[in-house]
Amino acid sequence: MEFLSSICPPEILCQILVGLSRMTILFIVASGLTLILGVLRIPNIAHGSLYMIGAFVAFSVSKWFGGGTTGFWMAVVLAPFAVALLSLVVERGIFAHLYEREHLMLLLLTFSFALILGDLVKVVWGGEYRTVQLPGSFKGPIPVESLPIPIYNIFLVIIGPFVALGLWFFTNKTKIGKISRAAAVDREMVGAVGINVSWVFAIVFVIGCFLAGMGGALVSPIVNITLGMDHTLIMEAFLIVIMGGLGNVWGALLGALIFGLTQSLGILIWPQFGIVFPYAAAVTVLLFRPTGLLKSTW
Amino acid sequence: MATLNIRGKESWLVPILFILLLVFPLVLTRFYTYLLALIFVSGLAAMSLNLVLGYGGIYQFHHAVFYGVGAYGAALTITKLGYSPWIGFLVGPLLAAFISLVMGAICVRLSKLYFGMLQISLGSLVWAIVYRWYSFTGGDDGIHGVSMPDLIGSTTGSYYFTLLVTAACLIAMYLIVKSPFGSALQGIRDNPVRSEAVGVNVKLHQLVALVIAGFFAGVAGVLFIVVDNSAFPDMLFWTLSLEILIMCLLGGWLTFLGPMLGAAMMVALRTFASTFTEYWTLIQGIILMLVIIFLPEGVLGYVNAKFKQLGNLASGGKA
Amino acid sequence: MKKETIIGMGVVLLGFLAVSFSFGAEPIKVGIIDTYTGPATAYTFDVLDGFKMAVNKVNAMEGGLGKKIEFLTRDEKFKPDIGLAMAKELVLRENVDILMGTINSATALAVSDFAKKEKTPFFVTFSKSDKITGEQGHRYVFQITENTLMAGRAAAFALAKKPFVKYWIAGDDYEYGHAIADGVWNQLKKLKPVVQLLGKSWWKVGETDFTPYITAILAAKPDFIIVATGGSGMVNFQKAAKATGLAQKVPFYQHTAIELSTLEPQGLDAPEGVYGTANYLFYYPDTPENKAFVQEFRNTYNRYPKIGALYGYVTGVLVEKGFAKAGKVDKEKFINAVQGMVIDSPVGKLELRACDHQLMLPMFFGVTKKVPQYPFLIASDIVTIPPKDYMPACEEIKTLRK
Repeated sequence: MEFLSSICPPEILCQILVGLSRMTILFIVASGLTLILGVLRIPNIAHGSLYMIGAFVAFSVSKWFGGGTTGFWMAVVLAPFAVALLSLVVERGIFAHLYEREHLMLLLLTFSFALILGDLVKVVWGGEYRTVQLPGSFKGPIPVESLPIPIYNIFLVIIGPFVALGLWFFTNKTKIGKISRAAAVDREMVGAVGINVSWVFAIVFVIGCFLAGMGGALVSPIVNITLGMDHTLIMEAFLIVIMGGLGNVWGALLGALIFGLTQSLGILIWPQFGIVFPYAAAVTVLLFRPTGLLKSTW
Repeated sequence: MATLNIRGKESWLVPILFILLLVFPLVLTRFYTYLLALIFVSGLAAMSLNLVLGYGGIYQFHHAVFYGVGAYGAALTITKLGYSPWIGFLVGPLLAAFISLVMGAICVRLSKLYFGMLQISLGSLVWAIVYRWYSFTGGDDGIHGVSMPDLIGSTTGSYYFTLLVTAACLIAMYLIVKSPFGSALQGIRDNPVRSEAVGVNVKLHQLVALVIAGFFAGVAGVLFIVVDNSAFPDMLFWTLSLEILIMCLLGGWLTFLGPMLGAAMMVALRTFASTFTEYWTLIQGIILMLVIIFLPEGVLGYVNAKFKQLGNLASGGKA
Repeated sequence: MKKETIIGMGVVLLGFLAVSFSFGAEPIKVGIIDTYTGPATAYTFDVLDGFKMAVNKVNAMEGGLGKKIEFLTRDEKFKPDIGLAMAKELVLRENVDILMGTINSATALAVSDFAKKEKTPFFVTFSKSDKITGEQGHRYVFQITENTLMAGRAAAFALAKKPFVKYWIAGDDYEYGHAIADGVWNQLKKLKPVVQLLGKSWWKVGETDFTPYITAILAAKPDFIIVATGGSGMVNFQKAAKATGLAQKVPFYQHTAIELSTLEPQGLDAPEGVYGTANYLFYYPDTPENKAFVQEFRNTYNRYPKIGALYGYVTGVLVEKGFAKAGKVDKEKFINAVQGMVIDSPVGKLELRACDHQLMLPMFFGVTKKVPQYPFLIASDIVTIPPKDYMPACEEIKTLRK
């Protein structure tokens, strides 16, 4: 830290670290979105709702275990599974029958799910704020150089690469991952060699939604858990996915990095229009590389 | 083209409907007069989208931007610059058409989902600027109490103005769709490669269509100012764009008047469902889901190769 | 296809015709438009419940006019265009006598404009925009909450007595944030000319990560920070202040920081030592009226009343007393009766000022503190600032409205 702050003023360093922790949440959610988009070709607007549900479930689980350290860890572990279970029901019940539909139609269908899930969350959890308590060990700033960076943000920055590695392992080293990659390119061929494509799709869909729930659970201790948290996030996640290249998990990482950093550094440059920077970055990227930075699976 | 049905023996229904609409304010209460005007506004926005979506096959995901720009253009000309409302009514659509030209020029080289995604990013940029620029646009509070000329200031006055302008726009759009330009556009939608091969400038046709659609969306935005005297940043938010898309889908984008019917359904549903439940988006979502799952073919046809076959079936079966 | 379309439209139109003949309603009808979805509900549910409590009391014992009060609610989901359409529906279709509600300032201003045209009284129960009774005020609009100008001035009034000199201003970059910050700063400079402003930072609404801003602020070493956040920003900033250790280093002020709506969701995790202002605290003043109100609210809803409960309750009382005094259900007579009216409330006597239709509320200034009795923080060292000390004078309002 001593060394870092000698080459870089602490404000900038802080800004970068904060940008990175913001990036982690965005990346986890966006990687799920891009996985589903790449393999199943569904632009899933309800992905944001699943993220929101992940956060709400995290709240319930944490409360069930009486908060504190146990509550937090159980929430982070269990909430994504709850979301995955919900998504399995939706996938088997509805999407499984509709994969051949036009993208625009699937997009609107997922929008109808977003409307339905939004109101269902209200039915289940009510309209009020919810918060999840951080475990004691995560409270407060890091004890180095009096930099006011919360320990939890550092924890998030560390988690990001592990999720990316896990996804890389899944798509490149597991059988299902390899099949799903093949199916993304040519679904008929994979079906023709006798593999049950439908179940491969279901597994990919569930994993993608699991990531949305994980994002929601991880973000739950640092924000208010409220209805409407899905709306801003889903648009950001889509921009990240488009910037990175549809279906490319590494692209999502790159897109999230650009998004997180332009936002946190943009605030330093021109605070009033800070929110404009990430959109401007996305537009710039697409102007020069209309299909995204990295290779798209489409 | 099977998509256009105003012909033959049913055409007498149109003037009758128009006359009915003219006398309605005499018998309806002010609320229903207002609601009808609101339906015309949303319907015009949806129909302007359908011009590029249904007839052009272009994935315009963020159409609400032009609706909002039209409204803000008019409202700011009237309140901030102090010009007469009539000048504001012209500025709104022209500004919307200009923004549409700029955005269209950037997006038009892409197709389908990529077009939609870039367009939605650009649109969000416009939204963010309107939302942030307090000193000029009023920021998140929006603009209120835009004063109207006395002639169209009352509920009935604004109704007739909205009705007449909407009718004029529908006739204009109908003529555009029926023109050689309209046919070329539909040809591009059905088979862009062939259109290119026979010497049609595909990108230019699409760009012109986008500008026209932006203009009519701007007119709808102006009519919103006439009916509700306000403009809000929410008018440029992406959720409204999806609602306009849904209007097209619900009513059926194979038909000329479908989006108007879809708008009527959406506005009526929202108004009446919200009187008995706060979970009205749940109802909206369920209806939308059912329509997509069970009535997909008719609305999907325009992108499918099956389009013609389906169209012939529809008109053949019913005429 | 086309014939069906046209016939379908005809049917829709005829349907409208059939249901459009409605009759005037017997009871006094109040139409409530508010946000009942999303973060705003942390405030709006209490407004509704407080109002219900007042109305149920009236209905149980036959109000002054011998008429029951009936109310209809509409959830505008924080969308002003929909909120405005709902207000029109309530007035034109349901023939409500009174409109109330809206935490959303855009909706409040749009509905206010409509209420003026329709000559229907409109009680704003949570929007804090000072335009409502200020430059865009008129005969038909009433504000039952403090507004940004008032809140800012009240805070300045209390802060001027503190030893802080070097200030920093930070806040949500939207109308509410700027208005609060300007309100505090302009008044503070007037009351205590030695104060200096070291700098400002503004973040986007809904910002969840305040760390970068906090670093920048700490680097400037101010004595005190004025934090102008609203809604979910309240809790988010306090969480960040706790996590970054800001709360221990530099004291800061947030309007409503000491209010239950901000403190309850955080439990015992909320930072101590935060300065704040609020119109209502369920434990202060410790008067029999307030105790009775809290008891009744808890018996009915099994929770402590937050600030919204007071606004809703007072609105209910004003509607009842206004019509009772007017002697009949007449909107103009109601306004003549209700403007300038003084009523009893849990926080003492309140006047609905005649010159601008702004309710004159006392403001409580205090500091957050942990106490053993409650599972959340409460305010301590409470100072009551009477309305005359911080409300803009009637002449000021007149010049604003021109």
